[in-house]
Amino acid sequence: MGLLRYILARTAWAVAVTFIIVTITFLLIALAPDPNISQAATQAALQGGDPTEAAQREAEMRGLDQPLHIRYIDFLQGVYTLEWGWSDNRAQPVTEALLEGIYYTAQYSIPWTILTIIIGPIVGLYSAANMYSWKDHLATGFAFAGWAIPNFFFALILVLIFSVWLNLFPLSYDPSAPVFSLQNVHQLVLPVFVLVTGSIGAIMRVSRNESAEFQNAAFMKTAKAKGVSPLRAYALHVMRPTLVPLSTTLVGQILVIFLGSSLLVEIVFGIPGLGRITFDALINQDTNLILGATLLFTFIAVMGNLVEDIVFTILDPRISYDDR
Amino acid sequence: MTGNDESIGADDVRATSGSARRFDEIDWDDYEEPGLFSVTPSLKITLLAGLPIVLLGLYDEFVVGDREATFVRLGSDLGLSGPFETLGVDFDPGSLDFLFMFTIVLFIAYVGYPLYRNGRMTRYYWREFKRNRPAVISLVWLGLIFVGGVLGPFLIAMPEQDLAAAYQPPVFASIDLVHTTGCVGEIRDGRCYGTWEHPLGTSRGGQDVFASVVHGMTVTMQIAFITTTIVAIIGITFGTVSAYLGGWADEIMMRFTDIVLSFPTFVFFLLILYIYGAGLGMFILVFAAFGWGATARYVRSKALSISEEEFIKAIRISGASTPTIVRRHVIPNTASSIITQLTLIVPGFLLAEAQLAFLGIGDTAVPTWGQLISAGRTSIDFAPWIVLAPGFTLFLTILAFNFLGDAILDAINPEAEAETDR
Amino acid sequence: MPPDSAEFAHTGISRRQWLSAMGVAGVTAAAGCADEGDPTDDDDAVPAGDQGAQLDLSRDPPPVEGTYHAVQGSSFDTINPLYNTESGAGTAIGYALDQGYTFDGENEVFPLLLETIEDVAGDGSEWRIQFRENLEFSDPYGAYTADDYVYLIQEVHQSDWANTANATDWQGVEVEATGELEVHARLADPNIIWPETFDPLEYPIPKDLLEPYVAEEDAAGLREHEELLDLSFAGNLGPYTLEEWIRDGGTRYVRNDEYYLREVGERNDDRSLFGNAPYFEDATIQILDEEAQRVQALAQGETDNVTLPPDRAQEFIEDEEIMVILEPTPFNTILSVNMRDNGWTHGPGNLFTVTAFRQAIAAAINKEEFIEGILRGFAEPHFTWQPEFSEWFPEDLELTRWGDPNDGVYGPEAARQLAEEALDQIDEDYSYDGDVLVGPEGNQVELTVLYNAASETQELAADFIAREFENNLGIELDAEPIDGTTFSENYWQAEPEPGSSTEIDGEEVVWEEPAPQNPGPRSVTSDNEWDLATIFGLNTYPRNPITNQVFFDGPNSQYNPVGYYPEFDAAGALQGMRNAETRDELTEAAEELFAGLNEEQPYIMLAFGDDIEGYQPDIRGPFENFSSGFDFAGWHRDDR
Repeated sequence: MGLLRYILARTAWAVAVTFIIVTITFLLIALAPDPNISQAATQAALQGGDPTEAAQREAEMRGLDQPLHIRYIDFLQGVYTLEWGWSDNRAQPVTEALLEGIYYTAQYSIPWTILTIIIGPIVGLYSAANMYSWKDHLATGFAFAGWAIPNFFFALILVLIFSVWLNLFPLSYDPSAPVFSLQNVHQLVLPVFVLVTGSIGAIMRVSRNESAEFQNAAFMKTAKAKGVSPLRAYALHVMRPTLVPLSTTLVGQILVIFLGSSLLVEIVFGIPGLGRITFDALINQDTNLILGATLLFTFIAVMGNLVEDIVFTILDPRISYDDR
Repeated sequence: MTGNDESIGADDVRATSGSARRFDEIDWDDYEEPGLFSVTPSLKITLLAGLPIVLLGLYDEFVVGDREATFVRLGSDLGLSGPFETLGVDFDPGSLDFLFMFTIVLFIAYVGYPLYRNGRMTRYYWREFKRNRPAVISLVWLGLIFVGGVLGPFLIAMPEQDLAAAYQPPVFASIDLVHTTGCVGEIRDGRCYGTWEHPLGTSRGGQDVFASVVHGMTVTMQIAFITTTIVAIIGITFGTVSAYLGGWADEIMMRFTDIVLSFPTFVFFLLILYIYGAGLGMFILVFAAFGWGATARYVRSKALSISEEEFIKAIRISGASTPTIVRRHVIPNTASSIITQLTLIVPGFLLAEAQLAFLGIGDTAVPTWGQLISAGRTSIDFAPWIVLAPGFTLFLTILAFNFLGDAILDAINPEAEAETDR
Repeated sequence: MPPDSAEFAHTGISRRQWLSAMGVAGVTAAAGCADEGDPTDDDDAVPAGDQGAQLDLSRDPPPVEGTYHAVQGSSFDTINPLYNTESGAGTAIGYALDQGYTFDGENEVFPLLLETIEDVAGDGSEWRIQFRENLEFSDPYGAYTADDYVYLIQEVHQSDWANTANATDWQGVEVEATGELEVHARLADPNIIWPETFDPLEYPIPKDLLEPYVAEEDAAGLREHEELLDLSFAGNLGPYTLEEWIRDGGTRYVRNDEYYLREVGERNDDRSLFGNAPYFEDATIQILDEEAQRVQALAQGETDNVTLPPDRAQEFIEDEEIMVILEPTPFNTILSVNMRDNGWTHGPGNLFTVTAFRQAIAAAINKEEFIEGILRGFAEPHFTWQPEFSEWFPEDLELTRWGDPNDGVYGPEAARQLAEEALDQIDEDYSYDGDVLVGPEGNQVELTVLYNAASETQELAADFIAREFENNLGIELDAEPIDGTTFSENYWQAEPEPGSSTEIDGEEVVWEEPAPQNPGPRSVTSDNEWDLATIFGLNTYPRNPITNQVFFDGPNSQYNPVGYYPEFDAAGALQGMRNAETRDELTEAAEELFAGLNEEQPYIMLAFGDDIEGYQPDIRGPFENFSSGFDFAGWHRDDR
């Protein structure tokens, strides 16, 4: 099997996986009772209307009066044509809602990702270079602490200390602040800090362990024997090979955090980003938006895995793609 | 991992690989007789101790009424009501408690017992492990949580509502009287001071925070043990079977794992738990259902890579069949890495539970740390202890699991060891 | 989240919207916002809010300055005026768009878009509505006229395709434009307090905007119409102009310097306050999920208005830097008891159906301790289906003060006595064994009270109620959390059985068109059995008490999930209220209803919560009244 064929097969599979997961989501939602309908009925009953009719009209309005398979086919058509429907919970098209969410999420996740990628490996290498010394313990302890402390708990404490008690940072996020403004930087310091401390732990650990492995490799010993300066030896011989597994782990890790814990940080800091949109959609059973968000998340995750695998395959010649 | 002694050449390390091999050998004993229904000591323990629990669990499920306490009913059924009452045996465990007990038995049988049997090996590991001080502290901490979780509920009563004692401060702390509904301790300058009666203060309903944290330990341990067991069973089975079968079956099973791994897990937790209710049992089920993918993949790759090792090749040349190799050599050799991997996934479950509880999607009937944090956050600015006490306990527990996992990883990683000797 | 009653009155949200805010609160509050406190002020007991005074409408216009910044706890689904059913969004729309009228501090109609609304015939059957002359939409829609109003009602609300929020307000009402600015309305069911029902209230929507959708019968299009979602058609019809709605973030407005009410202020001396209205350069409503952050935002001066939870009120009342306004609300805190056949899960029979037993429950729960301990004193005891501030509260009656330890019926003896009385009235073999109520099988009666898992207040309340049951009734009560939606779907509502009937007191009662909220006689039950629940509170309609017919108009009233069969002539009393031709007649009939409800306790009434509104002290306008906010356009900042 050639590389191209391998990539093609993997891509096809990625699309299939997305399709399967979104279908499962669709079924899960479709089979759950929709509270909006009984709300409509309750309202009608309370104001002297006909609850049954109101429930019917609400179902019609939400397109729930159609049989399941028709709704499913409609939904699939929508997926391909990028018409993901109307979000009843936000009174805007689903695509627009997701774009808005990405707009706010990106404002903190881009600086966060960049900082993580820079700081994580550095701390890891530093730790590996001083393995089992107090420096290593300190660095490891710090990274671990950051990783282990639940993001939302850490965020609450930071808000308590820095916003409530010391009044150094704003209590609430102002979504209307321009992206490139001091105000925006100011209000994003705490969320980004929480997320960076939360994510460097994992990256740091991988780079520490990987580089520890390479440190003992024969080529490293040779380099040392040849009198290459330790720093240079590190940069050339430890950092480089470490980057291969690291970069792939990175993609996976970042994605996990990106999709999961940012929701809680968004809630604590009041950022109207992607996580909160998804959560609100779930709470209000805004079917179209849940499906749209799931589709987006799944797509990102599957594509992430795909890229990870392909990069790994290309970068590391020891792995043959026939085997996978 | 055992193949490159010569490149290191330190005595200690040679001892390591030597004993590691011995450990492996002894572990093989459990699998010595390859008959399908061979009874290993571990299995014996499981059956002996586990069976009564399973039976009691079934009895609880099918005989005892909804509102009856299991042991009270058991007492009356056995004609032992008298002695039971005298002894104060009136526990009413739920199905999760039974499952929890069963997993502890499994743990003893498959981790504790082998460690005990291989005393020398255990002592060696312990020596290695002891050098990592944070890990030792972590172990002590987790031990405390475990003991607190198992015994705590028997010693400390479930925190009770006391409307006249809302927001009592912890010992040595104080709070403005305006926030409280009454003060158990001393009142000075319009501030209420904490007492030993509520060492960590009380919540909005006057529930003792310390008692809540202790009861939270039980839930934490239940999540950790039960979920991990389920994940381990599914993951190891799936991973080894996949590696063992190879070919198309492997392909299909791994693609299936891909799907499981590709689920946006958190969204699915939310979706399922929000729509279909969020009891603690459901939690554990959902976590386990989405959590085994990584383990399966890991086990499979370990199994495959071990089978590439020289010594396996040697065994193969000597005529052993693939199944035998996998069962007798591959699984035992991966056991330690699997345990490490499992240690490292536990914090994820604890964190997920806390996150969901924070979002208001949780079993409010069960006093978890996440619930407590969630409930305390509205008053964090004047009564921060309600959030801080469970928050730090959770934090330290997750930290401890990580340190522990890392220490085990280091202990079984000869390369990293060599590093120390330099 | 607590509905913001200040803005309620101001935006003239219809009663349906109130209800949705309330009934649904249990549902939508389920996950996001944990604490929908239902606080109240207690005029004789401890806490009293800061003063706050009603604005003098005849004073000179104050200077225009600064920003008005309010914070809310939950975001809006939509701000489309035709489809909004949330109080929070109602507030947001109300900043930019007035409705016909509202009610002032004396509960008098306070005209906004309308000049007058008059009962032409004197019996509530024919009404004349006169609009102001200077009402203008933005270009290209021109003036707001009677034609726009009538078109909206006839072609949209009264259509069978649009399914708008106000549709049911207009059933059986004939409207007709009798002049450019005059509308004539004929009611099939005459009502002398029609304005108080909020039914005549409509947001002004241009006819030209609606026409294409009416032609297509396109409800989705109407729901998604861009101008209805950015309110850009509002012209001079609201004090502020909507700049931006950030979903999940809030809304931002700038001052509308062509606001129509200015002209009214200039022309009338008693309205001169509005001569230059409004008095803030911009206004903002921000959504903040975290309660602690909302409270802190107020404390640190980042915002001008936040609704406070009951356990935070006292500290701010004592704080000079913050003004706390206690606004009574008509939403009650009740304990629902399931009188249907799947209630009383302990065994045979259902003691809840016996009035004396419901009285025993009411007598077993100490309202004073409930209010003090759980609502921190910010509530008033609730004895009959009307808050005390209501014009229709039966002041002349000697109401039985259930659960009042001082001068009412409370305590183990009283409760036990009533319970024993109830035991005599049923066939099943329940009896007291010492202090314990035992069932036919000889074991203690055990029941379950369900509370909303997302509400800490309800959790406290359920635990408290459980203790009172144990101590005063000898019943063991388990408090169990449940998700609001689940409760609503599987416990509260049931599949209706049309045409089902039963004989009550020798009379055949038929459920002709039952709803899920009253699916039939007691034999028609929901999927899951339940005993007691604190999940829902209900509106008591203090302005238009006739609406209480949805609850109490006989066993087959529209909303009767608990299966209550009135034993007094509730239907007759309500008929009397509907037929009343004067307010006195209405009062008299209402007294009959409220006296009966006080005795029968169809839901065990516990307390009326007030909103506790925290403001910066330099804000002028809010005052301690259900109507606070009616003059929002005149609110301003004053440092003195």
